[in-house]
Amino acid sequence: MYRFLIRRILGAVVILLIISAVTFFLFFAIPRDPARLACGKLCTPESLEIVRHNMGIDEPVFLQYWHWLTAIFTGRDFTYGHCDAPCLGYSFVNQEPIFNAIVDRFPTTLSLTIGAAVVFLFFGVGAGMVAAARQGRALDKIASSASLLGASMQIYFVGVLATWILVDQTQILQRPTYHDFTANPVAWASGLLLPWLVLSIIFTANYTRMTRSSMVEQLSEDYVRTARAKGMSTRTVFLRFAWRGSMGPIVTIFGVDLGVLLGGAIITEQTFSLHGIGELSIKAVENQDLPMLLGVVLVSATAIVLFNIVVDAVYAFIDPRVRLN
Amino acid sequence: MTSPRKRAAATVALFAAGALALSACASGGGGGGAAAPSGAAAPTPTQDTQAVSKITVGTAQDSTGPAAPEPGATKGGTVNMIDRDDFSHLDPARVYLNYNSSASKLFTRQLTEFKTAPDGSLKLVGDLATDPGSTDDNGKTWKFVLKDGIKWQDGSAITSADVKHSFERLFASFTPEGPPYAEQWLLPEGEKYTGPYEGKHLDTIEAVDDKTIVFHLNSAHTDFNFTVAMTGFGIVPEKHDTKEKYDKMPYSSGPYKIVSHVTDKSLDLERNEFWDPATDPIRNAYPDKWHMEFGVQSLQSTDRFIADNGTDKNTMTFHNPVAPERLQQVVNDPELMKRTVRGLTPFTTFFNINTSRIKDVKVRQAIIKAFPMQQERQLQGGEIGYGKYATTIMSPTVLGYEPFDLYGKLAKPQGDPEAAKQLLTEAGQPNPTIVYAYNQTPVQEKVAVAIKTGLEKAGFKVVTKPLNSTTYYDAIGHVDNPYDLYWGGWAADWPTGYTALAPTYDGRQIADQAPNYSHLNVPEINDAIDKAAAITDPVEAGKAWAAVDRQIMEQAPIVPEAYQTYFGLYGSGLGGVKFDIVTGEQSPTDVYVKQ
Repeated sequence: MYRFLIRRILGAVVILLIISAVTFFLFFAIPRDPARLACGKLCTPESLEIVRHNMGIDEPVFLQYWHWLTAIFTGRDFTYGHCDAPCLGYSFVNQEPIFNAIVDRFPTTLSLTIGAAVVFLFFGVGAGMVAAARQGRALDKIASSASLLGASMQIYFVGVLATWILVDQTQILQRPTYHDFTANPVAWASGLLLPWLVLSIIFTANYTRMTRSSMVEQLSEDYVRTARAKGMSTRTVFLRFAWRGSMGPIVTIFGVDLGVLLGGAIITEQTFSLHGIGELSIKAVENQDLPMLLGVVLVSATAIVLFNIVVDAVYAFIDPRVRLN
Repeated sequence: MTSPRKRAAATVALFAAGALALSACASGGGGGGAAAPSGAAAPTPTQDTQAVSKITVGTAQDSTGPAAPEPGATKGGTVNMIDRDDFSHLDPARVYLNYNSSASKLFTRQLTEFKTAPDGSLKLVGDLATDPGSTDDNGKTWKFVLKDGIKWQDGSAITSADVKHSFERLFASFTPEGPPYAEQWLLPEGEKYTGPYEGKHLDTIEAVDDKTIVFHLNSAHTDFNFTVAMTGFGIVPEKHDTKEKYDKMPYSSGPYKIVSHVTDKSLDLERNEFWDPATDPIRNAYPDKWHMEFGVQSLQSTDRFIADNGTDKNTMTFHNPVAPERLQQVVNDPELMKRTVRGLTPFTTFFNINTSRIKDVKVRQAIIKAFPMQQERQLQGGEIGYGKYATTIMSPTVLGYEPFDLYGKLAKPQGDPEAAKQLLTEAGQPNPTIVYAYNQTPVQEKVAVAIKTGLEKAGFKVVTKPLNSTTYYDAIGHVDNPYDLYWGGWAADWPTGYTALAPTYDGRQIADQAPNYSHLNVPEINDAIDKAAAITDPVEAGKAWAAVDRQIMEQAPIVPEAYQTYFGLYGSGLGGVKFDIVTGEQSPTDVYVKQ
């Protein structure tokens, strides 16, 4: 187990290094100048040079990357302030260390992700199991049709519509906003309820369909038939054997989804004006804010890599046939 | 687009390009707005957007406070403000965008400011100064005297030393983003200056006594008192100047002070108890507090204003326009129309004709004649969503603006191919080839088709050249660029002809990435610019600039497109929400919460 974890974590570090380098050099491969965006409309060549120097982009790209990399461990001084280690860079647009910005935004994204995950996992897997248990019957058809409908929805459509009906017109729910969980858990939950529900509509559909197909497949496996032949109850066969066996693909996709959501649910955050990692990434792209862009890419990549390691570890517990070494 | 971030670098880079396209659109870069609602005719305004050409220079009497009261207004309450973006800068020395200026009005004051009369006309008055300044040598030396009773947020008096410091720090290396005029006009020839922080000071800025400040410019600038009305020349206290960090938390000289600012999330203001309304002829400052939230897209803010629930009743926006998707709904609802703010922004849009490639003026005039103005504006969003037809370079918001239409575009906005053919025949080039470069966005793709179709009716052969949104301005900014026609826009920094015309059509300023994108260089026009700039009387100067405008348009260096319009909504619980002609968005100065 330890060997597995160490090997995977080392691999993850290499992957993150590669991702950061590729992002860095691709950013500079696009022929445009972020300094021009920051310099005023009557930008003189002298002003442009000053802005470039202030932003630290007047150095060779390799040197810039090296400085960025070393600052993670040593911290760094910038024209507009100091950045403590772990320094992921300094945003010249937001005028703050990247790490601080990410730490400030992460609770919103984490809350959005956890709440939505609980909802879509509960309803998605539940509906999928019911559909598999009632294969070919009315409940199965209803669950399958509903999931098809949900899967075809888009957040920017459902979100705007749900806000209009539930907030603007009927005022049943409050306008989505983030409150600190530790300060007021009720306000935290009620402020995020609508985004959770909307995000869940899309994800629940996928989990319903996946759980159903996986369960149906497992129910036709030899070992399930053997269990039935041995006289085990339908409930035991269904929950202890088929369900457990079907969880592999569900856990895999759940790990990836969690990682992706923690990297920023861009459209969800934009739709509900939530100030999370996704919104931060959009702004970074709009403002050609390379340090911020690198920061959010790394957070996103770290989340995905981390959850993939977790998923691989969880496999061993779900399915005894899987050995970590 | 929900969560496309997992494939890291390549995806991000591609995504960057797309998102940057969106940002360019939002700022008007390369033809901005969304298309008008499909399937519906462009909405017609219930009243014509107001053209403002009456701009005067006020007196000492006009410069005294308090500001003219709003009928029915009461003090108190909290006004909410929602917008898409946070303010990019709060340090006045780094403020150039109008969007930033709107917020700065609440906590930053300058030597002069513009006072808007109920009829929409503008008057330049003293803000910190007792009057709009005076010059005895045709604009080379300017003197301002500070008012009594003007104070910082700690109650200390604002002095001429603060003003001197504020102008000197414009030379510091951490303030390159603001307007460049101080650096250009206040530095003696051949000298270098890097700001006041190492104990060096500029002799050209003279604090005669605590109240009197004199500027010795290196050349005459007859509208320098207009220049210093820009937020970029707002004051900063030497004692509380935190240099690079000042941008995060500026010290207030206005009616409010900053309580908290969380970047990209919120900005909260409360009253500055030391601001004396008797010294301020512009700001009424009715609400006790301001709460500003960012990250709200136009569609979201429009829906919130339409629904008008809860605290949204007391909410306005500075910048977010009515979303194109809701334009028709708002225009057709008389109740909603009562809560709209409309007007012409200082922004004029046009298509540059590259005069260094198309040298024959008749060919350039033929392009204007044939240009399908009506079709392409409809694609951009129509009159309300985009702007009024432009036929001049100076916008109606500029002092001295004179309407003229040299090429009959208002009579035939759809284009006049026959007249264009005639001009091309006279030029001996019946089928010239022109390269039209454009910002590759979905709307601009359609616009390119409309332009190509319109111009080809007159005999032009049009080659369309899509450019990446992120590099559009870099590409057209090269003097030797290979394009003949490309979009551009310009807003005067202050409403006189100098800043509307000189940077963009003075042939002596042609350089890579300089704003003379048409590369027009006509000695007679250069001379006319110099002569107009030397006139001290604002009214006479205005007439001279209007004549320069006509002179330039005779050379056909651009196809005027639109005087950009603003159309926004606000909540029903607010009164005194007005359009600010100088910033081109909603003004915070007279807003109050209805009791």
